[in-house]
Amino acid sequence: MLLQLDNIFKWVTIGGQRIFLLKDINLQVEEGEFISIMGPSGSGKSTLLNVIGMLDSFDEGQYHFMGESVHNLKEKHRANLYKAYIGFVFQSYHLLDELTVKENLEMPLIYKNIKGSERKALVADMLDRFNIVGKKDLFPGQLSGGQQQLVGIARALISNPKLILADEPTGNLNSKQGEEIMELFKALNREGVTIIQVTHSEQNAQYGSRVIELLDGRMV
Amino acid sequence: MTQNKVHSSINVLGLSIGLASVMLIILYIKDEVSYDRFHKEVGAIHRIVSQQYNEGGLPENKESITGYLQGPRFMAGIPEIEQYVRLHGDRVDVKTGTEVFSQELLRSDPNFFSMFSFPLIHGNPETCLGNPNSVVISEDFALRQFGSLDAVGKTLMLKGRESFAANTATESFEPHTVTAVAKRSPENSSIKFDMVLPLEVPQEALGNDYNWFNFFLNTFVSLQPGANVATVDEKMQQLYVSQSSEVAKILNAQYGGYDIPATYYLQPFTDMHLNAELSVGNGLSDASSPTYSYVLSAIAVFILLIACINFINLAVARSVRRSREIGIRKVVGGKRKQLILQFLGESLLLCLIAFALAIPLVQMALPLLNELSNKALALSYLFDARLVLGYVALFVSTGFLAGFYPALILSKFKPVDTLYNRFVLSGKNRLQKSLVVLQFALASFLIIGTLVINRQFDYLISQELGYDDSNLVLVEKQGLTREELALFRDRLVSGGNILEVEGKSGGSWVTVAKVGTGKQIQFVQETVSQGYAPLLDLSMSAGRNFSMDHPSDATQGVLVNEAFVREAGWEDPIGQTVDYWYNQTKFTVIGVVKDYHYDSLLQKIGPQLFTMKPTDGLGMMYVKIASGRATAALGDIEGAFKELFPIQPYSYDFLQDRNLKNYETEAKWKQIVMLSALLTIFISCIGLFALSMLAAEKRTKEIGVRKVLGASARNVVTLLSRDFIALVIFSLLLSIPMAWFVAGRWLQNYPYRIHLGWQIFAWAALLVLLIALSTVCFQAIRAALAKPVKSLRTE
Repeated sequence: MLLQLDNIFKWVTIGGQRIFLLKDINLQVEEGEFISIMGPSGSGKSTLLNVIGMLDSFDEGQYHFMGESVHNLKEKHRANLYKAYIGFVFQSYHLLDELTVKENLEMPLIYKNIKGSERKALVADMLDRFNIVGKKDLFPGQLSGGQQQLVGIARALISNPKLILADEPTGNLNSKQGEEIMELFKALNREGVTIIQVTHSEQNAQYGSRVIELLDGRMV
Repeated sequence: MTQNKVHSSINVLGLSIGLASVMLIILYIKDEVSYDRFHKEVGAIHRIVSQQYNEGGLPENKESITGYLQGPRFMAGIPEIEQYVRLHGDRVDVKTGTEVFSQELLRSDPNFFSMFSFPLIHGNPETCLGNPNSVVISEDFALRQFGSLDAVGKTLMLKGRESFAANTATESFEPHTVTAVAKRSPENSSIKFDMVLPLEVPQEALGNDYNWFNFFLNTFVSLQPGANVATVDEKMQQLYVSQSSEVAKILNAQYGGYDIPATYYLQPFTDMHLNAELSVGNGLSDASSPTYSYVLSAIAVFILLIACINFINLAVARSVRRSREIGIRKVVGGKRKQLILQFLGESLLLCLIAFALAIPLVQMALPLLNELSNKALALSYLFDARLVLGYVALFVSTGFLAGFYPALILSKFKPVDTLYNRFVLSGKNRLQKSLVVLQFALASFLIIGTLVINRQFDYLISQELGYDDSNLVLVEKQGLTREELALFRDRLVSGGNILEVEGKSGGSWVTVAKVGTGKQIQFVQETVSQGYAPLLDLSMSAGRNFSMDHPSDATQGVLVNEAFVREAGWEDPIGQTVDYWYNQTKFTVIGVVKDYHYDSLLQKIGPQLFTMKPTDGLGMMYVKIASGRATAALGDIEGAFKELFPIQPYSYDFLQDRNLKNYETEAKWKQIVMLSALLTIFISCIGLFALSMLAAEKRTKEIGVRKVLGASARNVVTLLSRDFIALVIFSLLLSIPMAWFVAGRWLQNYPYRIHLGWQIFAWAALLVLLIALSTVCFQAIRAALAKPVKSLRTE
């Protein structure tokens, strides 16, 4: 098992009242799954994804990731954990505008203290695999949305994560580009990468092996 | 919203500090240029001064003082001169009951109160100095002495001038009648007095043409309306040359150096206070160097400039955040001009608040300025019609300076870009960066300045003087005889609190004599008692000290210092002669004293000579007290003095204190430069703080991404600080050579100075970097610790 959420609650207190963002979430994810989280706006999809990605905390419940009890870990260990095993893909790509494609890809490796020569090799592999060698010296602003997202996924994959968390990865793309990205995810999943995506689109959800519906912070 | 408040308060605080410093300096400068302008006929009043020439005919010093003759002779021959007033400062002993104290006073021609506008509370300005036994006192003196302002007709016992020479009788005090009480002299007056006595001019002095060359007083003249100063200058010169040339010839033959007549000219009264070339002394006071005004204004302008830079930087930086507001305003129909006006209005409003805040700041800082400048400025001084106008101008120009550029930039934004978040502030921000560099260059320049001045000051006060100045009490006693000194010594030394007492001539006396084969040298001559050298622990580098075993020492022996030997060019100084050819006395060198700093370290050690000639009076007792018994010893000294010299004013001073006083100017500059360094670095830092805050904000998304991709807090802090620190390093690279040059030039003024090593610069650089780093880090750490989720939320 890759990860397990037990009775996860998350709330904010506004004016003395608790407003639940996540309510009693129980979820098991096996390695190699491709899960789509669906639900209307404000149902807690992104929050759940962030909790799984350890970017956000929760107020109650237990979270085990690859045998580690995330709820007991200190901030620093948590960061090390997600650094090592999780890759993030965002709706608005979040590439750094002032860095080239190559440099964007290289960044996570720098923070993992990987040596320069090794970094170069990994980046070259990734560029090759995604067919963007010709774009390596361009800046994100010079790419189309689909290409940017391609780079975003490549960046998420470069540190060889076990799990990819994608928050509406096709939200800013046209349907053709979106399809390509989803095909890519499917291919990655076949290679063994676990994927959890948040999506609005029934069609995109079909690519996954399992769909989780959220409503007002609850799984339905 | 709170962030907005932080920005605004930073803007306002910085600006008000800048404005307050400029206001303080305006106050200072206003006071400086207002000197002596309160006199009614000030435009007509001039001082007679002259340019002197050396033997080669090259211009030497400018002489600000004159003698008995210049006033009356020039007035007699030049119709444009309406009247003249000669005045000089003096001291007199005043006796009240059994107490005797020494009082400073002016001696002046009787028309003093008609030429100068010093209002009298009681008495007639035309006649009050008419009688030789009259005296005019100030209101302060009247209150102190008589307890009331109504002092006209009362009597003061003043020591007569003749008694000075006779130096004995208890009966030498003469009654003087108070004829007028004058209001306290204004603070901004070069002439300040508590007592004025009529100047007594011996009748024979007026006929003696030698007095053309005997300078000791200030001569003021007032000119007729419409008189041409250049014409008067010319006439004075003609008169002078024709009347003095005969005596000049005689003097030239005797001493040399009189072949080129001095050039006389008039110095406007109002020019006196800030003139660095013509001294203000001999009864005048408060000379000020215009350097102070220049440097202080430069510093104030620096500070204001730095505050304005903050203002501009912050406004431009904030434009990113305001871009949406601008877009909306433009979409709903705002014209560019309206926007410019809006932003200008905002900056003027902030400026106005800063201005209002500056006034209490000025009030708070005034005592400090007064202490630094030896003035008594008051806030009320600020409210003068012209100054208020100046402030309004200052306010408007600051507002425009600080507001205009941001207004231009902001109003240029294209609404569509800003509304759809496509807007990126042109990445490089050259202006912003160069302004930060300028700020820190100025700040580090001043910090280096502070360090250099501090080091030099410490050097001056801690340097080995070459003698022992500890536990030495100086007691003044005019016309001290050898017998009195002996009496005094016997009285004191037996008590055990006092180790030794010696005597020395009062002031320092510079004179000339011929040495050996006829070379003439100038030196400081000191008349001392026999044990003076051992008392000061002076070491002898050749020969011996004065000794009782050699009776001829008293009349023919002299000690000289090494500088004297060098100047004279003697191989073997002992036995050489010093020839005072003009009074036909010759002395023989019996010993050479190692050079010591008899004067402050601001002066090079020059040739010095000691005699113990019994005919030369002593003026100062040097009392060496046992260490740790100062209180008892001072009591003993005062007791003995009052008993032995009941009609002499008693005052004492520790030699160490007196030595320290030599460096008061340096101490003052030290404070001024340190203060301005503190202010500039502070204002620069609040600017840097705000900028780093904005930078962190602008890069929130980036920081979020980097953190998600594995950046540690340390990575983020480095990322955010790096750029700013690079700017600071660059500014250090700019300021260090500049500071090195200026500090080097400044140190040239000191014959004894520190070596300008790299360490000072390294320390300053380190200090600036640390300050900048901690300023920037504060923001960077906050940004680094923030959770990335928030910044990455997709709209």
